[in-house]
Amino acid sequence: MTENQVKILQGNTFVVSDERGDIEASRTDPTGLFSFDTRFLSKWVLTVNGERLTPLSVDDLHYFEARFFLVPGTGTVYVDAKLSVIRQRSVGNGFHEELTVLNHNDQPVELVVRMEADCDFADLFEVKDALKKKGSYSKQLNDGKLMLAYERETFSRSTAISSSQPCVLDEHGLTFEIKLGPHGTWKTGLDVVTGVLGTSDGGDEGPTLAWQARRPRTNMTRNLAQWLDEAPRLECDWEPLRTTYRRSLVDLAALRFSPISAGRHSLPAAGLPWFMTMFGRDSIFTSLQALPFNQELAATTLRELGLRQGTRIDDFRDEDPGRILHEMRYGEMTAFEERPHSPYYGCADATPLYVVLLDEYERWTGDTKLVRELEFEARAALNWIDEYANLQGNGYVAYQRRNEETGLENQCWKDSWDSISYHDGTLPGFPRATCELQGYAYDAKMRGARLARLVWRDSAFADTLEQQAADLKRRFNRDFWVEDGEYFAITLDADGRRVDSLTSNNGHLLWSGIIDKSKAKAVVRQLMGERLFSGWGVRTLAVGEGRYNPIGYHVGTIWPFDNSFIAWGLRRYGFKEEAARVAAGILEAAEFFDGRLPEAFGGYPRSMTKYPVQYPTACSPQAWSTGAPLLLLSTMLGLEPLGDHLLVDPALPSTIGHLEVLDIPGRWGRVDAFARGRVDTSPPNRRGQAR
Amino acid sequence: MEPADGILQFFQELGRREHEPLLAKVTGSVRFDLVEGGRTDRWLVAVHKGGIVVSHQGGTADCVIRTDRVLFERLCRGEENAMAAVLRGALVCSGDVELLFAIQRIFPGPARERRPLSSVGGS
Repeated sequence: MTENQVKILQGNTFVVSDERGDIEASRTDPTGLFSFDTRFLSKWVLTVNGERLTPLSVDDLHYFEARFFLVPGTGTVYVDAKLSVIRQRSVGNGFHEELTVLNHNDQPVELVVRMEADCDFADLFEVKDALKKKGSYSKQLNDGKLMLAYERETFSRSTAISSSQPCVLDEHGLTFEIKLGPHGTWKTGLDVVTGVLGTSDGGDEGPTLAWQARRPRTNMTRNLAQWLDEAPRLECDWEPLRTTYRRSLVDLAALRFSPISAGRHSLPAAGLPWFMTMFGRDSIFTSLQALPFNQELAATTLRELGLRQGTRIDDFRDEDPGRILHEMRYGEMTAFEERPHSPYYGCADATPLYVVLLDEYERWTGDTKLVRELEFEARAALNWIDEYANLQGNGYVAYQRRNEETGLENQCWKDSWDSISYHDGTLPGFPRATCELQGYAYDAKMRGARLARLVWRDSAFADTLEQQAADLKRRFNRDFWVEDGEYFAITLDADGRRVDSLTSNNGHLLWSGIIDKSKAKAVVRQLMGERLFSGWGVRTLAVGEGRYNPIGYHVGTIWPFDNSFIAWGLRRYGFKEEAARVAAGILEAAEFFDGRLPEAFGGYPRSMTKYPVQYPTACSPQAWSTGAPLLLLSTMLGLEPLGDHLLVDPALPSTIGHLEVLDIPGRWGRVDAFARGRVDTSPPNRRGQAR
Repeated sequence: MEPADGILQFFQELGRREHEPLLAKVTGSVRFDLVEGGRTDRWLVAVHKGGIVVSHQGGTADCVIRTDRVLFERLCRGEENAMAAVLRGALVCSGDVELLFAIQRIFPGPARERRPLSSVGGS
C-alpha cells in the first residue's frame, strides 16, 4: 500500500495520497495533508458523474509537485477513454490543485464533477497511536469557501477550501456541473489553505506567529535549480556514483526545513515525511556530512538549536541548562503537554556534537563571527557535559530519562529498547554511559579548546578543557577496554561494569579521536573483521553477540550514516584503505536503491545475498542516509581544511576510476579535487582479479 | 493591582536584575499584554545586551506577547511552559519571533518533585 503512495512536500507541509491523487484516511492511516504535525485534510476524493477514477500514470515532477493522469471508471480491464482528467498538485501553504477535464469525443458532454472533503485534524502522534480527539469540529460555508475547523480551548486549526471556478459548496465538498464541447477542456484551480493559530495578520503590532507560519508557494522550481547549481560538480567514470550524488543533493533539498525563527534559512530535518522537523542529533550529523558541499545548513542548525537550548531543569521535557534539544513538534498533544516535544531534550549526544559541529564549521568556513555569536551556547553545552550528564558520578556522560511516561529510554542514536546489551544478550540497567558519548565529549572538549584559544581568547578555559579531555581519554581507554576481545565496551552499566558486546560504536570512537594510538589497530581489525564487516558495511552489532539479528533494527543491520562516520574515523587514524573499503561497500549498495540509501539494510554477508536487503522503514529519504554519500566522498578524497587551504589526499576504490569534485566551497573560495581509484576493495580472496 | 500580586513581583524582580546572562545577546523590546476581563495590563521589557529595563506601561515594541493574567501568573511560577502555551494559542505572539524564544528564558522551570539524578551517583 505504501508502495503506491504519492508524497509531495515543502518543509513540514506534505501531502500523502494514493495514485489517483485521492485521500481517504482512517484514524490510524497516515495519508492526508499535514502541516505543523497536524492533519488538515483526511478526505479528498474526486468523482466524475459519481464514479471514482482510475490512474493511468503519475508524474513526480519535483518533490513539491506531482501530476496525476486519470480516466473515469474503476474497471481495470478495459478503459473507454472518452474523457480524461489531470490533477496537478503543488504544496505551499496547504496545497494548490489544478484540475483539468478533457473531452476526447466529438460530441458535447455534461458532467458532474465532485470533490469530497473532510478533516479529522489528527495530531501526528494520534495517527501513530490511534488516540481519540478531545475538542470539537465545525464546518462553515462562507465567502465562497468551505471552512473546516477544530477547536479545543484556545487551540484552533482550520482548513479553507475554495475554487477558482463557480461551484456548489456543501459541508462535504464541492460540486461542479459542467458542459464540455466536442474536444473541449475545462479547468479549475482548487486551493486548500491551512490555518494555524488563527489567521489574523497582526495589524499594527507586526505579523503574528500564525502569519509567519504560512509558507507561500513561490519559485520552488527556481529554488531547486539554484540549490543544485550552487553545489559542487561531480565528474566520475563510475555512473552509479553520479546518480547517487545527484539523488543526495535533490533529497537534501527536499529535506530542508525552515523553522519560523529562521527566516529564509533552512536546516536539515530528519526524514521525509514523518520527521520533517528539527532533531538535534539528525540535524547535526547531516550538517556535518554535508559541510564540504553546503555550509548554510550547518550555520542554520547551530543558530536554531542554540536559540532553543535548554535553560532550566524540567523533568517532563528532560531539559537541563545547556542541553541541546532532541525533537521539536507543533501538534495538539504537544500543545496540551500530553507529549513533551515543545521541545523535548532527551538525547545525550546532541549537546557535545553541537560543539563538534561549531568547530568543524569554522574549520571549513573561517566564519569566526558565528563562533563568537554562539560562545555562550557552546560554553553552556560544554558545561552540561560535566554538570548535568555525569549521572553515574564517575565523570562519564550518561543518560536516564526523568520523564518515565513519554520520555525516551535510550538517548543515544541506537535508541531502540534492545540496542544496548551484554555479550550474552541481557540488558543493562540505567543510567547508561554508552561509549560513543565519551568520544563525542572528548572531541567537544578538544574542539572547544581550539575555539576558546582562536576566537574567544580565553586560553585558561582552553587549558582546562584540554586537561579534562586528556584525563577523560586516559580513563576511558582503561575503563571501557574489553581486554580479551581488544575493543571498547558498548557502555558502562549503572555499577560501572563494562557491557561487553562488540558494536559499530567503535568506529565513532575512532572518529572522535578518543582511542589511544596503541589500541587503534586492534579496533580497526574488529571493525573490518568478519563479525562486523559484511562486505557492504559495518554491522551495528557483531555476529556472535547474543542479540545479533541481521534484520534487527540496531542489533545487526547496517546503517549507511553509521558507516560514513566510521569511514571518517578510519581516515582520522590513518587507515585510508579500510576507509575506502567501507565507502566502496556503502556506495555499491546505493546502486541497488537507485542512489537513495535507506536508513538501514540487512547485515547478511554480502557473499550470501548478493544484494543489500532493505530494512522496512516509514521514512525515505532519511537525512543522515542522504548525507552518507557526501561524507563518504569527502572521506575518500581525504578532504581536510588546513588553515586557509583545503588538503586533498585521496584513497579511492579502484572501481570508481576517475573522480573529480569541482568548486568545493570554503574559506579558500572554491577549489577542485581530483582522484584516481587505486585501492583494491574486492574481498581478500578475490584480490588481484581485475574487474 | 493588589500588593501580593505575583505578576508585579515577577516584573519587579526582573527589573532588579542588572544583567541577565540568558539574554546577553539580546537587544529589543517585548511588551506583555495581560488580559483580564475587558482590561489589559501592559508591561514593557526593554533588553539591551542582557541589561533589562522594565516599565509598567504600553508603547511600541519589537515583539508583543498577549495572554490572560491567570496563565501569565502560572508562567511566573513555573507552572506553565511558554512554548507549549504558544502552540495552544493561549499565548499569542506578534512581531519578532526570535525575541519570543529569547524572552521565554526568564520564566522559571517547574518545581522539582525529586532530587536531580546527578546527586544520586556513587564513587
